[in-house]
Amino acid sequence: MRILDLALKDLSQMLRDKRSLFFIVVMPIIFTLFMGFAFRGISQSDEEVDNRIPLALVDPQPDSRLNKMFFTRLDSSGAIKVMVMNENEAMDAFRKGEVAGVLVIPDGFSEQVEAGNEAQLNLIAETSSSEGQSIYQLLRVPISQLMSAVEIARISADLQSNPAEYSPAIELAWSKWDENSKLSLVSVEQAATEKSSDWTGGNPYNQASPGILVQFAIFGLITSAQILVQERKTRTLQRLMTTAMKPWEIVAGHLLAMFTLTFLQTILLVVFGQLALNVNYMREPLGTLFVCVALGLWVASMGLLIGVIAKVDEQVILFSMIAMFLFSALGGLWFPLEAAGGAFAAIGKAMPSAWAMNGLQNILIRGLGLESVWMAVGMLSAYALGFFLLAVWRFGKMDV
Amino acid sequence: MNAIEVKNLKKSFGDFQAVQDATFSANAGEVLSLLGPNGAGKSTTISMLSGLLTPTGGDASIMGHSVTKEPELAKASLGVVPQDIALYPDLSARENLVFWGKMYGLRGAALKSRVDEVLEIIGLTDRQKDHVGKFSGGMKRRVNIGAALLHKPDVIIMDEPTVGIDPQSRRHILDNVKELNRQGMTVLYTTHYMEEAAELSNHIAIMDKGRVIAYGSHDELIKMVGQETRIDVTLNAEAEKILDAWRATEGVARIDSLDGKITALVDDSNRVLPRLFDAASKHGVRITSVDIQEPNLETVFLHLTGRALRD
Repeated sequence: MRILDLALKDLSQMLRDKRSLFFIVVMPIIFTLFMGFAFRGISQSDEEVDNRIPLALVDPQPDSRLNKMFFTRLDSSGAIKVMVMNENEAMDAFRKGEVAGVLVIPDGFSEQVEAGNEAQLNLIAETSSSEGQSIYQLLRVPISQLMSAVEIARISADLQSNPAEYSPAIELAWSKWDENSKLSLVSVEQAATEKSSDWTGGNPYNQASPGILVQFAIFGLITSAQILVQERKTRTLQRLMTTAMKPWEIVAGHLLAMFTLTFLQTILLVVFGQLALNVNYMREPLGTLFVCVALGLWVASMGLLIGVIAKVDEQVILFSMIAMFLFSALGGLWFPLEAAGGAFAAIGKAMPSAWAMNGLQNILIRGLGLESVWMAVGMLSAYALGFFLLAVWRFGKMDV
Repeated sequence: MNAIEVKNLKKSFGDFQAVQDATFSANAGEVLSLLGPNGAGKSTTISMLSGLLTPTGGDASIMGHSVTKEPELAKASLGVVPQDIALYPDLSARENLVFWGKMYGLRGAALKSRVDEVLEIIGLTDRQKDHVGKFSGGMKRRVNIGAALLHKPDVIIMDEPTVGIDPQSRRHILDNVKELNRQGMTVLYTTHYMEEAAELSNHIAIMDKGRVIAYGSHDELIKMVGQETRIDVTLNAEAEKILDAWRATEGVARIDSLDGKITALVDDSNRVLPRLFDAASKHGVRITSVDIQEPNLETVFLHLTGRALRD
C-alpha cells in the first residue's frame, strides 16, 4: 500500500507541473504531425501514386470493332495506363521515357483478323527493362483472349452455317472473357516485407506515430527522474529511509510512478494515432498493449537508473537527452533502420528502442499477428530487468 | 527497559573514525541531549540510530529492538526530525503531513484526525493549505517536526531542530519538545546550544571528536568541574606576554588562549580577578574586556577538552 502511496505522490508532483504536461502530451503530438508531413513527401500513399505502366497506343481506326474492344479492355486495366497518341507523339514520349512502350495497331487490323487473315500488332519497348518485359506479358493476355473470342465466334457461325451468328457470338465470347478476368480468384491484402520500398505501409504516420511515441516516452524520463533527484536534494529520501519502508519498497514506488506516467503517455499517443492519423494500432490491440507495457517497463527502469545516478537536475536533463538521442537515432525512431543499412542498422537493431519499433511496426506495416510481438516484448522486458537491477544496485550504494 | 540503548557504537569512513565506542542510554519518557560542537559525531550517531548508516561496530536499540538486527521494528517506534528540512516544497503543509502519515502506516479517518492534531500542535492549522516552499524557515521547521509526530512514536530523535531560525520559532519548538516529553515521549535531542540542553534534558551526553566524553544529568556534569568560574579576557597585547604569569597565579585552575582571547577557569572570581589585573599591570599589558560566567555546560566542555563549545 505504501508503494502505491509513494507512486501517487510522485504522479501528483509530476502532473502539477504544467510544463511537464506540455512536454509529455502536447509536444509528442506536434512532433508526430510534423514527422508525418515530412514522411508524406518521401513516401506517398498508394491512393496518390499511379503505379500503372504507361503505354502509348497508336490506333488509326479506333472505331473498328476489335480495336474498340481491345482498347476498352486495356483502358480498364489496373496495370496499364493507356495514352492514345499519333505515331510521332508516341515515339517522342517513348524516347523521353514518359511511356514504357508504344503499341501500334496496323491499318485494317480488325477487318483482317475477322476475315481470318493474319494481322500483327507492333509493340515498341525496351525488352531488357523490367517495365518492357512487364508490358509485353501484360499485353499477351488480352490479345490472346481477343483472338480466342474471334476464333470462337467464327467456329460458332460455321457450326450453325449462319454467318449472321458471328457478331453475337464474338460479343458473347468477349463478354465472358471480361467476366472471367474480373473474378477475384485471389484476394490481395496490403502488407509489406522488411525490405519493401514502401516502408510506411502506405501511411506515413505508421513510421512517425510509433517513432515519436517511443522517443517521447524516453524524453518523459526528465520529469520522472527529476522527482528522485529532488527527493534526494530536499532530504525527503533520507526521511523516507527512516520510516519502516524497506529500500526495495521505495525503489518500487518510484518505479511504479515512472511506469504509470510512461504507459499513460504511450496509450494517449496510441489513441491519438488511431483516431486522428489512421495508424491502425487496433488491428492487433493485445499486441499493441503488450509492447506498450514492455516499453513502459524499460523506460521506467532507465528513468530510475538516471534518477539514481544523477546528482542534480541538470544531470538528469543531460542523461535523458543522451538516452533520447542515442536510442532514437540508433533505434530507427526517425527513419527505418533498413534505410540506413550496414553496421548502423546492425547496431541499431540491438537497441531496446528498435525492438519497440519492431513490435509496433510488425502490427502496423507488416500486418503480422500477436505472435510477432513476443520477441520484441521479451527483449524489452530483458532490458527493463537489466536497467532495474543496475538501478537497485546503485540505489544501495547511494549516499542519501 | 531503556527506550534508547547505545553500546560501544562505532562508525568509520575509511581511516576516519566518526564515532568511537559511543555508549549512553535514555530511560523511557526522558529527554536526553547529545551536546557537542559541529563535527563531534552527533549526527553520525543519530544516523545510525535511525537506520541511515550501518554501524561499523557495537549496537544500539530503540524500545528494545536492535537497529542492526530488527531495523524495521526499531524504525516503527521512532520518529526522526532531520537537521535539514525534509519536506516536499511543492506540496502544502497538509499534503506533506498526509503523505508522511501514510508512510508511517496511517490510513483513513485515523490519518485525517492525526493530521489535524499535529497541525494544531505545530500551530499551522491556518496555513495548512499553503505550499511549504512559501513558508518561513521557522514554519518549515515546525512542519518538519510535525511530520515525525504523526504515528505517535515512542521515541523521537531531533537533530539540531533550532538551527538558523528566529527566536519566536525557537521558543515554539522548545515548548513543543517539553510538551511531547510531558505526554510520555522519549526525546533524543542533539544540539550545540548548551542553553537548550540545560533547559530540556534529564540527561546529557557530551560528545567531542567522535567520543562521548561525559554523560550525566545537568547537575552531575556541573559537579565535574567543581565550582570553577569561567573568565574570558581580551588584551591589548599578545597573550603570550602574560599567559605564564597568569598560569602561576593562585586560584587559577586552567588557562587557555585562542585567537587572542584568553579563557581561565578559576575557583573564586572575586579573589582571583584582582590578581590577574595586578599581573597584567606588572607586565605592561592592558585588559580591554572581561566576561565572567558561573559554572555551566560550556565550562564543563572547556574543562574536558580545553576548547570552547562553539570553537
